[in-house]
Parts: sequence; C-alpha cells; structure tokens
Amino acid sequence: MKNYLLTKTASVFSSKNFLTVLIFIFLPFVAMAQAASDVVQPPKEFDPSGWNWVSICYIVLAVLILLIIARVFDIGSLTEKVTGRKVINWDKANGWIAILFLIGSIAGVWYEMIYHGKHVMIGNSYSEHGETIDSMFNWTFGFTFVVFAITEALLFYFMFRYSYRENKKALYYFHNNKLELVWTVVPAIVLTFLVLRGFNTWSRITAERPKNSQEIEVFAYQFGWKARYAGADNKFGAHHFTFISGKNPLGLAVDGNVDSLVAELQADIKGIDAKIASAPDSAKSWEKQFAAFNVGSNAAAYPAVYKDLKTKMQEGNSGAYVERLKKDKRRKNTTLNRVLTYRKDNGIFNNAANDDKVTTEIVLVKGKSYTFNFRARDVIHSAWFPDFRGQMNVVPGMATWFSFVPTKTTAQARIEKNNPEFEFYLYCNKICGAAHYNMKIKMTVVESEAEYNTWLAAQPAVVAPPAPATAPGDDKKEQGKDSGSAPQKMAMITKTR
Amino acid sequence: MSTAASHAHDHDHHHHKESFISKYVFSMDHKMISKQFLITGIVMGIVGLVMSLLFRMQLAWPDEKFGLLEMLLGKWAQDGKLDPNFYMGLVTIHGTIMVFYVLTAGLSGTFSNLLIPLQVGARDMASPFMNMLSYWFFFMSSVVLLISVGVETGPASAGWTVYPPLSAMEKAMPGSGLGMTLWLIAIILFIVSALLGGINYISTVLNMRTKGMSMNRMPLTIWAFFFTAVLGLLSFPVLLGAGLFLIFDRSFGTSFYLSDIYLEGVGAMENIGGSPVLYQHLFWFLGHPEVYIILMPALGITSEVISTNARKPIFGYTAMVISLMGISFLSFIVWGHHMFITGMNPFLGSVFMILTLIIAVPSAVKVFNYLTTLWKGNLRFTPAMLFSIGLVSFFISGGLTGIYLGNAALDIQLHDSYFVVAHFHLVMGSSAIFGMFAGIYHWFPRMYGRMLNNTLGYFHFWITFITAYLVFFPMHFMGLAGVPRRYYMFTLVKEFDIWMDVNKMMTMAAIVGGAAQLLFLWNFFYSIFKGKKSEQNPWQSNTLEWSAPVKHLHGNWPGAIPEVYRGPYEYSHPDREEDFYPQYIPDESDKAETGGEGSKSAPKRKSTKKEEEVVENVMFSAIKRVFGWS
Repeated sequence: MKNYLLTKTASVFSSKNFLTVLIFIFLPFVAMAQAASDVVQPPKEFDPSGWNWVSICYIVLAVLILLIIARVFDIGSLTEKVTGRKVINWDKANGWIAILFLIGSIAGVWYEMIYHGKHVMIGNSYSEHGETIDSMFNWTFGFTFVVFAITEALLFYFMFRYSYRENKKALYYFHNNKLELVWTVVPAIVLTFLVLRGFNTWSRITAERPKNSQEIEVFAYQFGWKARYAGADNKFGAHHFTFISGKNPLGLAVDGNVDSLVAELQADIKGIDAKIASAPDSAKSWEKQFAAFNVGSNAAAYPAVYKDLKTKMQEGNSGAYVERLKKDKRRKNTTLNRVLTYRKDNGIFNNAANDDKVTTEIVLVKGKSYTFNFRARDVIHSAWFPDFRGQMNVVPGMATWFSFVPTKTTAQARIEKNNPEFEFYLYCNKICGAAHYNMKIKMTVVESEAEYNTWLAAQPAVVAPPAPATAPGDDKKEQGKDSGSAPQKMAMITKTR
Repeated sequence: MSTAASHAHDHDHHHHKESFISKYVFSMDHKMISKQFLITGIVMGIVGLVMSLLFRMQLAWPDEKFGLLEMLLGKWAQDGKLDPNFYMGLVTIHGTIMVFYVLTAGLSGTFSNLLIPLQVGARDMASPFMNMLSYWFFFMSSVVLLISVGVETGPASAGWTVYPPLSAMEKAMPGSGLGMTLWLIAIILFIVSALLGGINYISTVLNMRTKGMSMNRMPLTIWAFFFTAVLGLLSFPVLLGAGLFLIFDRSFGTSFYLSDIYLEGVGAMENIGGSPVLYQHLFWFLGHPEVYIILMPALGITSEVISTNARKPIFGYTAMVISLMGISFLSFIVWGHHMFITGMNPFLGSVFMILTLIIAVPSAVKVFNYLTTLWKGNLRFTPAMLFSIGLVSFFISGGLTGIYLGNAALDIQLHDSYFVVAHFHLVMGSSAIFGMFAGIYHWFPRMYGRMLNNTLGYFHFWITFITAYLVFFPMHFMGLAGVPRRYYMFTLVKEFDIWMDVNKMMTMAAIVGGAAQLLFLWNFFYSIFKGKKSEQNPWQSNTLEWSAPVKHLHGNWPGAIPEVYRGPYEYSHPDREEDFYPQYIPDESDKAETGGEGSKSAPKRKSTKKEEEVVENVMFSAIKRVFGWS
C-alpha cells in the first residue's frame, strides 16, 4: 500500500506536472522582486579614464606568468608520458613545500609581532578588572600556544617525513587505549583549570553590582552615544521611550518637553485625520500628475520622479495610502495615551530629571568605581571600550550594566603610548546600520575629582535653571517632596529584566 | 523489508529510456542529486567569494574609486565607492551563502547524497522522491536569495544572524525591507530542504545497510553524515520558529522580539513586552549546532581521505565515533557562548562557558587521532590528501582560539572583534571548505567517471592554503588590538588606521586566493568532459562505493549488492601483499580474521573485534531498542 502510494505520487509529480507546480510556487517571488525593482537604472557610460592602469598591468602580468607556469607543467607531463620517467616527484615536493611553509609562517608571525606586537591586547589594560582578564589571556595563550606549536609542527613534519615511497608499507596500527586515555585526560585537566579560572574572573566582573559606584547612563541610538550624569541632586530623572522627541532625545520626564510632545502628537493626529478625509481627492490628483508626467521618454530620463509618482498613484488607488495613514494614526494614538497616562504620575514627573546633564563625552576620575547603565533607543548596539576591557550589549527594552574602575588617566596613557593625541573611545560593536562604523564617544579619565567637577559644571543641565542662584534650592525642595520614589518608578516603567 | 525487495525487482525491469527531464532535472537518483547539489553549491560559492572580495577591497582601499564597481553595482557604488548599506548587505549575504548554501547544502548535501547509499550498500536513498524535493527546495531557496540581492532597497543587511530589532523594522535600515522578507523566505525554503534531506539520510543509514555492514563497520564519513543529519533535524525547526516569529513581528504587528523602541523618522513604536534576546536564544539554538553541521561532514571526509592516502588504518575508530557523538550532543547545550555579553544572566553565562570548554576535549581527541594516523604512514599526496591535511591545520589553528572565545571573561574583550572573524573563518570556514575540496578531489572519479588533473590540484591547494592563512591569521592580531568587525572602513580612528597596510595585504591575498579558485573551476568543468578516464578504484580504497562500476547505474550495482566482511580501514594489513583490503572481498583465510601475529606493533585483531563488539553493545543497545533495528 505504502509502496503503491509512493509510486503513485512520484508519477504524478515526476516530470512535467512537477515542473508546473514548481513554476507556480516560484512565480510570486519573481513578481515580488520585479515589482520592487521596477525602474531600470540607466546604464553608465563606459569610462576607462578613472581606471587604475598600473594595477591592471600587474594583473595581466600575473595571469601571463601563471599561463607560462601552466605551460611548463604541461610540457613536463608530456615528457613524463613520452619517457615514462617522473619529472617531478610530487610526493617529495609536497613534503618539502610543507616544511618551507612551516618555516615561512613562523617567520611571518615573528615579523608581524615585531611590527604590530605592541598593539596586541592594546598594550596593558586601563582598568582594575582588566588586569585579571589580561592574566587569564596570558594563561590561555601559554597553554594553547604550546599545543598549537607542537601539533602544527608535527603535522607538517609528518608530511615531510612519511611521504610516499614505493615498496614501503605503513604501520598497521589501530588504536592504543592508554595513549588515547592520556590525550583525553590531559586536555580535560588543562581545560578544568582554565574553566575554573575563567569562572572566577567572569563572576568577579559581572555577578554583583558594586554598591558604592557612581552611575552614569550611557544611551545609544542610530548612530551615536550620549551620556547622562545625575546632576546636583545626585538622582536620575525617570525616562520612557514614549517621551522621546526632538527636544527630548533621551525621553526624560521633563514637564515642559513632554507637554509640548503631547501637543505635537495631538496636532499630528489632526493632520492625519485631514489627510484621510481628503484621500480620494489626493488619489485623483496623483493619477492626473502621473498621466501628465508619463509621456515620451520622461520615465527613462527621470526614473526617481517616475517611480515616486507611480507608487503614489498606485497606493492612492489601491487604498494602501489610507491604510498607512490609519496605521500611523493608531500608533500615534497609542503613544499619546501612554504619555498622558504617565504624565499624571507625580512619582515620574518629580523634576528629578531637570538638573541631569546629558553630555557627548564621558569623563571619569581615576581610581573611582563606575557603573554604566545602558539604554538603547532603537536597535541593539554594543558598548565596547577595549582599553578598559569592557563590553556590554545595549538592548532596547532591557536594562544592562557594566562596572569598572579606571586605573590610569588619559594623560598617563598618552605618555605610555608615546602618542600625544591618544584618546579612549567607546565604540559600537553590534551591527546597527549604515553608519555603525563611525559610532563612538570619547572617554576621558582625569586625575582628580576637582577636574571632573569643573567639567561637569560647564555642561548644560537638561532644563536650564531660571536663575543660577536659586536653582540648587529649588532642587532640594523637590527632593524632599517625594523622597526616593523616583528610582522605583523608573524601574517600574522600564521593566528591568 | 518488502519495499527493498520490490525495489530490487523493479530495478531488473527498469531499462526503459529516461527522458532528459527525469534524468538530469527532476532526477530521483541520489548520484544525480548529489551532482545537482554540488554544482549549485559551487555557483553559490562563487557568488559568496566575489562578494567577499568586494568588501575586502572596500576595507583595503576605502578612499579609492573603482570605475568597475560602479559599472557592476550601479547605485550601490556611486562614483566607484561602495555604499555603506550595500557593504552591510554584502557581509550579510556572504555569510548566509557560505554558511547555509555552500557549507551546509553544498557540502553535506553533496556528499551525504553521493556516499550514504554507496558506502552503506543501498540501491538509493530511503525515499528518492523526498530526496528530489530536498534538492528543488534548496534550488528555489538559492534563487530567492540571489533575487533578494537585486531588489531596489538592497539585500538583507543586518548581518547573517539578522538580529531584530534591526531586521524587524523596515525603517531601521534599507536592507530590512523587501530584501529581509526574501531572506526569510529563502531561509524557510532552505530549512524545508534540510529537513527533507536529513530525514532521508537518517533512515537510509539506519535501515538500508547491506549485509555485514554493522554500525561499527561504517566508514567515518557515514557516521559524520548521520550525526549531522540528526543535528539538522533537531535544530533547524527551531530556526523555523524563530523565522516565523520574525515574520509575524515584521508583518503582523506582534511583539515577540520588540519592546520600547523609538525609531528616527517613525516615532515611538507600539510594540511592548518582547525581547530581542529571545531571538538570539532561538537563533543560536540552531546557530551553534549549525557550526557542527558544517564541520562534521568535512571531518568525516577527512578521516576517510587521510586513512586511504596514508595507507594506514584510521587511528582510534571508536574514539573518533565517540568524539563525533560527544560533539553532537554538546553542541546542543553551548549556544549561550554566543551571548555572554547580551545582558544574559551572568550565572547562565558561566554554565555555558563550562559546557563550551568541554567541547574542546573531543575536538582535541580528533586532532591527535589524525596526527597519529599520519605517523608512520605512507602518505600519498593526492590533492584530496593535501586538502585534508590543510583541514587539520586549520582545525587546530581555529579550534584553539575557541578556547579564548568560549571563556566568558575573555569574551568581554574579544566578542565581535576581528579575533572572532579569524576564529570562525579558520575553524569552520576554511576547514569545511577544505573538507569539501578534499571530497571533490577524492570522489570526482566516482561522480563523473573521470580524473581531475593533479598538478592543477597541487597549485590550487598550495595557493589557497597559503592565501587563506594570509587572509585570516593576521585578523587575530587585529582583534587582539581592539579592531571591531563589520566596520565599513577603518580610516576614521587612529587606533584602527595603523592596520591599513595589513588590511591591504589581506585583500591582495584574498584576490590571489580567489583567482586560484579559477584553477579549480577550470579543472572541474574541463575534467567532467575531457578528463582522463577513471579506473574503478583509482585510490585503492577499501570502501564499498568503489565496488560499483564507473558508469552510473540506477540502483548502483548491476547484480546483487556486495556483502561487507570487515571494517573500512584495513590498510597495509601485514598478511596481505596489497596495502588495502576492501570491505567487499571475502576473507581469504582464517589468518586474515585473526590479524597479523607476526608484526609486533599491530594489535591482535581478535581482541579489537571483541572490544568493538562490546562498545557496540553498550552504546547502541539502547538506541537499537528504541528504533527496533535487527
């Protein structure tokens, strides 16, 4: 029965029928791709003036040399056929090349280490925990280098030593349990050592959040970083992603900014309503515009305009335009409702954010413990500050942190590296879009608290205080009013996981 | 076993003429399907290689203008400079093509299809029809992926891991539009193909072995393909789930992976409550076994090729099988080592670290066994043998750096740096590609009945081997000096700028290495038609596939399927004049059974047999009961 079914289905699908089925499955994809790449780009003119002729000459030369070598070997194999004598003993030759390769690669690595060796592990680490990572690295390097050197050397030596000889017979050798036990147990012991050490190092760095550590919020967006310091009240204001607007890039709970966002959203929604109401008219006008434009060779001459008008017309006619507007409206409504709900909450809008300082540089004091609280606006980023051996992903909707203690100042590092322009940077290290490669923020480590205070004082607060003399007093009042509730609220709405 | 019997019966009467379509296009013959997989894999490989050369050129000469690029890519290379968005697209599609299309389908698809029936002694796969479907789903998937490169907004460009939210929102980057949709469709078609193939490989290996082919007489290639298929079958469905969730998030407004997002140009999104880290867990639950899905067939091929060309039994057959089994099992519980610094609970990170470093043990055992197999061998350097040795070399270099990256503490510094790029390009990229080349050079006579040119093969090997090291080895130094991966250019930061001359050297090596593949392509396609005719058993190999006639038959063997009398690696048996002793030749005398008493270092065959039996009983009795084999 099973057999019958199999042959039956097989014959139904066997040849032409199956082809038709496949074509039908396949067609939609082709159609989709064609719809997307509707407009053919005008072909570029052939212009060899910008070509790099020197490189082209090199390539041609290389190809010629290769052809000559090939010819030589051709002749070699012909003589082999005619005389019946081997011109090249490839078994021997390969053994020799293996040995040469081994020597060459040692020389290459040696050269590279002289040339760039001082940059490996970027010299020394500039943080306290970084030293434990470096020592872990050194231990791992010690073990793996020994294994690497021995096994690779043996591999190429065996190629040389045991290359094929006629009349020789290989050793008939199946297994040796003792030997196998040894090379299972020895790596296991070494790895146990590395695991335990690694476990220790890792736990010390990441497991517990240090208590007396200054917190800095590090905020990532496409494509840049911002840092937020707590300001004079030493308290971070609450934030929420729905509060983000042009004036308020970090989405902080600042009365004025959020109120203007509410007004903005309400105006947007009204605008969308108006657009929806006039949608039939817009569709008609686009149709007219398209008809007027689509004459003669306009389409080929201005592909961008043509495409734009055509999409507009199609979307207007099919109702996709209205659908999109409605979707947009729904989204804006949701945001508006959320903002209004939180706006009523005095625990969030407690003016703690007003004196926060949002900066485009991170300044740290040497020898002090810092905890970076990471927050992402749009996609996943990763904060990597390799000089301090620190890295942590910055994930939207999820709170992550990393603690460390910088041990040397930027000035010291400049002297050590013999580079007066040296700066520490925090890079983005998770693919996040086109400008990912240029997403970084400067980190400066200063010697004393005083230097840091001067710098911080020069940074503008989120809400400029009405008059410098009264500002601190105001802050203190606010602080007293709702003591300590802000961090809890903040935790609630950002849903720390 | 009525199906098998009736199949054999069918075979006798099946000499009617096959049409072009049923023979070459919708073929259900495993040998033809394997060729289809191979050719498609090679075509995809060329695309992937050219892409890598394009972005390597960008990295080496970021300020240079290439008129040629503009002619090739149009708006993606205005004024001859590669667009950053398209750079990301190239990186993504290069990764996808190489991981899935070349090294999963091209490698495992080709050689599982070719070798499983031939080496276990079966007339064809358990279900030839499913096998055909498997190829055609793969083909469709390839075409959809290639189409996605041409769409107006560009191909998927969030990296081959396509982490949401970047890949989930159309406005996050141009490549996350239609290109990403097509990417997902392509991957889903690919998963269907992989599952159809995997079920087939497993059932063929378990049910269709010829008489005498017990599990412990199977060549290591078959063991490797078997475990690979099991891995694929258990892990690909999870990626399917991850992909479906992503499609839901993209198109139907769900929030599996999205939460608290404000997108420039759009505003605050509605999605709340999802987690991008969930996707990473699901993805890497496939992603890590995938590494071994890529690598294990290459290791299996290497075992076979090294043993054959060293004219020496593979050292520690049982240890090889157990280490394959150990790697397969462990590969399912180490995925978290890709996610140490994603904000995952640090304790979970340390658990994954411990499990990850355990994998180094079976891997080390495999390397030592290869080395001992070479020791005191009589090494015939066919190109296949050279590529296998190259694989071992890459496997050592790349495998050892895994000990750094598997260590969570070191991963803080090394994660997503060029060190990682060096690591996986050596241990899984170059290794697996070399395994694939070894397989092609070794079994080309079996596939096409003709020989490849050896001299060209030697040039191909040495140029590829040296340039691969020149491209990937310096990346270690760059990574250790804090150079991040997936950067469009390195000239903007002084600390990266010092590596520019190394970058140039790597790109030149890559171009030379890429050009060397032309030697291979010429050799391959020329030899299909004009190569020297092959003998039946050109490498004097032991395994069953060489007992079939050179000309391909539907059903593989003209008469009865040969029986198997011994293990696959009886090379240089002291009692035989020839240095090989094929599996399908009946024993000449009782002496052969007991083994060489005369040679001092050879273990007594009797005891080995006994041990093998014990191991088989212990290891497989439980599985046997579950599957009900006899």
